[in-house]
Amino acid sequence: MKGLHGIIFSYESHNDLRELTAHRLPASVPFAGRYRIIDFILSSMVNAGITDVGVVLHGNYQSLLDHLESGKDWDLSRTHGGLRLLPPFSYRDEFGTTRQFRGKMEALAGVRSYLEEIRQSHVVLADSDLVINIPLRDVYQAHLASGADITAVCTSNVDAPDDATYFHLDGNGRVKEALFGLRNPAGCHRSLEIYILSKQLLLDLVDECMSKDIVSFRGGVLLAKASELNIQSYVWDGYAAQIRSVKEYYDRSLELLDPSIRREVFHPKRPIYTKERNDASTYVDPSGTCCNSIVADGCTIEGTVENSILFHGVSVARGAEVKNCILMSDVIVDRDAVVHHVIADKKVEILESRTLMGHENYPMAVAKGSKI
Amino acid sequence: MKKECIAMLLAGGQGSRLYVLTSDVAKPAVPFGGKYRIIDFPLSNCINSGIDTVGVLTQYKPLELNSYIGSGQPWDLDRLSGGVHILPPYMQEGERGSWYKGTANAIYQNIGFVDMYDPEYVVVLSGDHIYKMNYGKMVEAHKAASAACTISVLEVPWDEAPRFGIMAVDGEDNITEFQEKPKQPKSNLASMGIYVFTWQKLRQYLIQDENTPGSSNDFGKNIIPTMLGAGEKLIAYRFDGYWKDVGTLESLWDANMDMLSRSELDLLEDSWPIYARLPADPPAFIGKAALVEHSVVTQGCEIGGTVLNSVLSHGSCIEEGAEVQYSVLMPGVTVKKGAVVKYAILGEDSVVSENAVVGGDPADCDPDKWGITVLGPGTAVEAGETVAPNTMLNRDHKEVSR
Repeated sequence: MKGLHGIIFSYESHNDLRELTAHRLPASVPFAGRYRIIDFILSSMVNAGITDVGVVLHGNYQSLLDHLESGKDWDLSRTHGGLRLLPPFSYRDEFGTTRQFRGKMEALAGVRSYLEEIRQSHVVLADSDLVINIPLRDVYQAHLASGADITAVCTSNVDAPDDATYFHLDGNGRVKEALFGLRNPAGCHRSLEIYILSKQLLLDLVDECMSKDIVSFRGGVLLAKASELNIQSYVWDGYAAQIRSVKEYYDRSLELLDPSIRREVFHPKRPIYTKERNDASTYVDPSGTCCNSIVADGCTIEGTVENSILFHGVSVARGAEVKNCILMSDVIVDRDAVVHHVIADKKVEILESRTLMGHENYPMAVAKGSKI
Repeated sequence: MKKECIAMLLAGGQGSRLYVLTSDVAKPAVPFGGKYRIIDFPLSNCINSGIDTVGVLTQYKPLELNSYIGSGQPWDLDRLSGGVHILPPYMQEGERGSWYKGTANAIYQNIGFVDMYDPEYVVVLSGDHIYKMNYGKMVEAHKAASAACTISVLEVPWDEAPRFGIMAVDGEDNITEFQEKPKQPKSNLASMGIYVFTWQKLRQYLIQDENTPGSSNDFGKNIIPTMLGAGEKLIAYRFDGYWKDVGTLESLWDANMDMLSRSELDLLEDSWPIYARLPADPPAFIGKAALVEHSVVTQGCEIGGTVLNSVLSHGSCIEEGAEVQYSVLMPGVTVKKGAVVKYAILGEDSVVSENAVVGGDPADCDPDKWGITVLGPGTAVEAGETVAPNTMLNRDHKEVSR
């Protein structure tokens, strides 16, 4: 069957998300008021007509399972195909239970029997720490038109999060060389870690890498085979955020207050789907003010909220002041508390008259459920 | 498969007193409270009460309602056994079958559906009331009294009693008489249009009523009086929470304002959630120059202007410099720069263009001429245009009289 199959990698990787990933994988870090990071790539896949998506899981994935459930919120709860969760069922753990996957090829080798059963001709691989709303159908068309072995989505914005992959492109957009850990990536393109290739090539590459004990896609394919395979770039210079640090999380979140960026992320023709929580509407009391903020449903605002993002069910009491903050679901800010430059994880309570200040350069992240 | 109790929801009403708001949809599909449609209240009450089988009787303009209910998934009513079923009128052998002639006839024509579940009790509900109610408790009261029918009633002020169907009761809340809109009410207990019947009793009276020439096949007018006359045990079940019939434009506006005040109808209180089917909209954005007070906002709202004492639904866009006061905005409404909307109900996807004025403050108007201003779904008000208080416009920008 012609078409695309989605595979999303959701396992622990090196990052600086600190408290935000204490109880969860980067994929299920809450983002933009009512989403989890994985919603963006998952919705991009669904909006491209992809009906079958596998999510490769390893590590602390309880919160991700709670979020994805059967996949019904993404229209992926199907009799045939739909969402498949792929915990490491055939993964042989030789080094104790805490070991991470060392790379995508190792992870894919662990689900090889699943790969064989893929119904579609092509596969799109993507990371789950990427916030993007990209028309993957266009990327697929470009892949078919170019005749490339692999199409890699990349951006000319090289302001890099940690651990980025870079490409040197030739005049025709073909990847000449892949690199990582560059100190000065000027003139390169940064990979957004979205790759399209045929199912058969993917199986061949997995087998080849395993036979050579190569665990990573970057090492085994991009670095080793750039000259042998035709790896074509697809340059995407729209909004794309690889969320790998608290600072990156904070900056890329508050960027959404800019209407032009919001229009890119929340494109009317490509909605972002998420698990519905069924809160009532948000209520703004006469004693409260709220401006330049993104506010999810179920909030009660009786204090002042400025330049902030409020997730579901947040309550800001009378006299409290919330500025430049990200408050996740069910956070309570009690009377007269002052909170600036803070990322408060779910169910944090900031008690009466407390003052909590981070800084623009170092937003303070408060772990889930803390009482301050 | 046998169920102890199922619900039948009467959702076929035309809702003619909502005028332009029901020009394209049945009354139960009319949006309410920013995130909901009227039918979300009885459906959510059912699932919260432990009733997992609901027949929804539709007749008038059912398309939007049908697609809204869909599989019933938002209400957790997509079940292997039971769940929500849309029941339109249908033809039967020998040219039998017809449009639903009345509320009782609608159930009569679906006796077959009810029999499939062989229930002990049937709860009969209507799709035009806003309230949170545990039907389970009412069924318990019905069982405890071994009644044939239990009717839920609300105490209303005596001077308002003549507007309702009134239940006269004895000292043990046995119903002794039913008075439809009486000039001299014998009690102030108003019927809320919510009934629990012992199914075998109801089944028998439905068949009898169908064979009675001249009957209007209505629960209030025919079934209840006949059962009383036959000496059946009918009891009143007193309800003391918030309940509002939103069958008129004024009561629909009132109920939205009641929700804002949160004193009686608190939807943010989460012990009895109301579920809805919602589009995949991003969270609300409240802009730099926005002023929002004593109002509710929801997903998909973009607010740049002033919003006071108002209910905004998903997809509302209030541009910078626009002002909305004491109004109810249904999904997808746009109010452009410099426009002022006061004391109005704006139907789905209506547009108020730059510097237009829709509705007005009762203080600035002859009290006899004042009223809620209503725009039907899809109505566009042109730039600079004034739509006076108490005016109603339809999609074609024609004035509709009440």
